[in-house]
Amino acid sequence: MKLKCPECDGDIETKEVIEGEILNCNDCGAELEVTKSKKGTFELKVAESEGEDWGE
Amino acid sequence: MRVTVKMGGDLLKGEDINTALIEDLKALTKEHGIVLVHGGGDLVTEMAKRLGKEQVFVMSPEGFKSRYTDRETAEIYAMVMAGHINTKIVGTLQSFGINVMGLSGFDGGLIRAERKQRLVVVDKQGQKRAIEGGYTGRITSVNSDLLEVLLKQGITPVISPLAMGLQYEPLNVDGDRTTAAVAKAIKADAIIYLTDVEGVLLDGKVVPKMGALEVEGLLEKIGPGMSTKIHAAVDAIKGGVGKAIITSGFTENPLRNALEGRCGTVVSL
Repeated sequence: MKLKCPECDGDIETKEVIEGEILNCNDCGAELEVTKSKKGTFELKVAESEGEDWGE
Repeated sequence: MRVTVKMGGDLLKGEDINTALIEDLKALTKEHGIVLVHGGGDLVTEMAKRLGKEQVFVMSPEGFKSRYTDRETAEIYAMVMAGHINTKIVGTLQSFGINVMGLSGFDGGLIRAERKQRLVVVDKQGQKRAIEGGYTGRITSVNSDLLEVLLKQGITPVISPLAMGLQYEPLNVDGDRTTAAVAKAIKADAIIYLTDVEGVLLDGKVVPKMGALEVEGLLEKIGPGMSTKIHAAVDAIKGGVGKAIITSGFTENPLRNALEGRCGTVVSL
């Protein structure tokens, strides 16, 4: 499967993916989240990485 | 002097709170404006279990294990933090003649926070995965005017780490971060993090001093619970708080000794 990095437009080759999976772009190093479009195809968006303080 | 004190959950697990700590607090409230913030995550877990709601914990890529707070957990969290734990502390301190008032982030809009949208966790297969942020939040504001009114009246606020979200929903916020946010809001001279160890330990020994700008290299050698405290302390210091002291709450005069530099680890600029 071939996906596009939204940061650098580079190609990312991968086997099967699932929604929510985090991939790294080999070209620019961006951390990317696998999302599903309305059409049901997989896309990538930059992962919103939260800090470690997730409450008590 | 203004001082914000974080009372860690380990101090609240037994039947009673350390009497020496309460006496110390009582004396200090006569001289300084004190704001207390408490923890109690383990007690939330215990109560949730008793209610039949097993807690789910997730791991961050940095190795931090955290509760996953769904809506039902957020409601239990609010019940235990603002109800059970806060009233226990307030009742105990009142019984010693300390004029305290229990508050959560909801009271007077004291602590507002924004829900975290996505969390990146490591799943059981070791893969990173993004999940819904749930009911945890990042603190966006503290109603310092309310705290000022209370402090001017000689009342010591006792705050539970429960924030009010943008949709007025309950949000689980970290107690150490809450303490730092409150300290910045009231322009505190010092924060004291009371815990169950004598300070930040490296090779079994207490580190007496840490510079806020030099902690990065030390963080990987320090346990996750302590790392969160140090991150929060550094955030507070960068926000104008004079210093933060991490020390044990199980000793004699832990607060006075901390303020006078006789114990614990002092984090400052």
